Amino acid sequence: MKSKINIYLIEYALGSIIRQGHKSLFIAIVFTFLTALLTSIFFITNSIKYELNTTVDALPQIIVQNTKASRIAEIDVSIADKLLDIPGINSANARVWGYYYFANAGVNFTLVGVDEFEEQYSDTLDRVVKKGKLDGSGMFVGAGVRKIMNNNYYKEYFNFIKPDGTIKKVNISGVFDSDIKLESNDMIVMSKDTLREIFGIEESKATDIVVKVANIEEINTVALKIEQMLPNARVITNDDMKLSYENIFNYKSGIFLALFVISIFTFFIIIYDKMSGLSSEQKREVGILKAIGWRVEDVLKEKFYESLILSLFAYILGVIISLAYVYIFNAPLLRDIFIGYSDLKPIFEISFILDVQTLFLVFFLSVPIYVAATIIPSWKVATLDADDVIR
Amino acid sequence: MNKKSKITFYIFSLLGAILVIQIAYLSSLKSMSLDTKEKKVLFVGLTGLPDLAFSSNSSYIRHRTLSMVSDIYNLDGCLREYDSATYAIANSKLASKN
Repeated sequence: MKSKINIYLIEYALGSIIRQGHKSLFIAIVFTFLTALLTSIFFITNSIKYELNTTVDALPQIIVQNTKASRIAEIDVSIADKLLDIPGINSANARVWGYYYFANAGVNFTLVGVDEFEEQYSDTLDRVVKKGKLDGSGMFVGAGVRKIMNNNYYKEYFNFIKPDGTIKKVNISGVFDSDIKLESNDMIVMSKDTLREIFGIEESKATDIVVKVANIEEINTVALKIEQMLPNARVITNDDMKLSYENIFNYKSGIFLALFVISIFTFFIIIYDKMSGLSSEQKREVGILKAIGWRVEDVLKEKFYESLILSLFAYILGVIISLAYVYIFNAPLLRDIFIGYSDLKPIFEISFILDVQTLFLVFFLSVPIYVAATIIPSWKVATLDADDVIR
Repeated sequence: MNKKSKITFYIFSLLGAILVIQIAYLSSLKSMSLDTKEKKVLFVGLTGLPDLAFSSNSSYIRHRTLSMVSDIYNLDGCLREYDSATYAIANSKLASKN
């Protein structure tokens, strides 16, 4: 098929864009801004979702908590052994963890206890900690915790205040790798025994029990059996957690959605303005073109090239700006909507994900609509008699 | 091709080149490496807490295991940030029905 691209029409279209000067510039700026805003919103959401989905499968399959008068209470460690009687359960481990409120800085640390001598834990800790060895008197801290402690002159150790008012001194043995800042920023990992001492939890008690099921298809059935066995227990499966994550994202995305709606609304106002008709000058131009022998088809082609050049330019520029804004400058302002405003807010880099779907979505939401909004009024004018239009 | 067409062609080529270079740069330097991914999975597996630090100030996430799942966060009634009793004063679904 012979090429239908008419270079002279493109040259005329370019001339027309330049002739309209300020108007073209204004449209290009607004278009670029909207594209950049929309793509930035999608890029941030997708990257954080990706980050989350990376780790969501590592979460426990079932968590069993004890409740007393509908409040979370400590659970007996012996229940873990009882749970093993349920067919399908591979392992049941009692966990000790909790929040420690550090009043000086007004932040909560998340304290997690591990069996430091278990090979599985020590191997994992070796991988995620820069350097250092965990022992009974030491702890590993997240980068955010380290910073807060440093600011409060706890460089080598930290004094935890126990429930009876006495102090437990724990040495800082190491800091978690900066690669896992997002997950570890407010975390402190120490031995279970030390943690029990700090929180005043007896040897026979734990915070909750993590259950591992051999066949993932049986998780819900096992959860049901646990509920029947322990009427007071609150049983949370990993599906519940995934659902919860989704809901939280929908909640936070709602804020983004508001921005999105405003952007789209602004864009459609511009489109509506264009659709409502051409200016008298533009009508005159079409009339003159028709009078000197241009066909309707030529006029439409010229308008098509004109709008395509302008919108494509703005679209590409918008994508370039949003890529730089999100992934090079880490999306200042917009990112805060997702990561919150706490003192332990992690400074992390948004991981780059090339999301082709987003690029197509924004493209089809903007470029074809703008092109159509330019061509339709031109077609209305171009089909009239040249004489009528010029008058 | 006249001068204007040439300039337009160069501008679009430049934009295309910037986009390709930017994507190549970001893919090589800013994407999550396998090693980082592995570390994240290991860490979350170790602590087992279903929480990410980016939501550390959001009681409905950080305290999520202490509250009914998918239940109260939309009515999240914080008295004070980080107050561990936050979840206890939030309205339950039953309360919001009345």
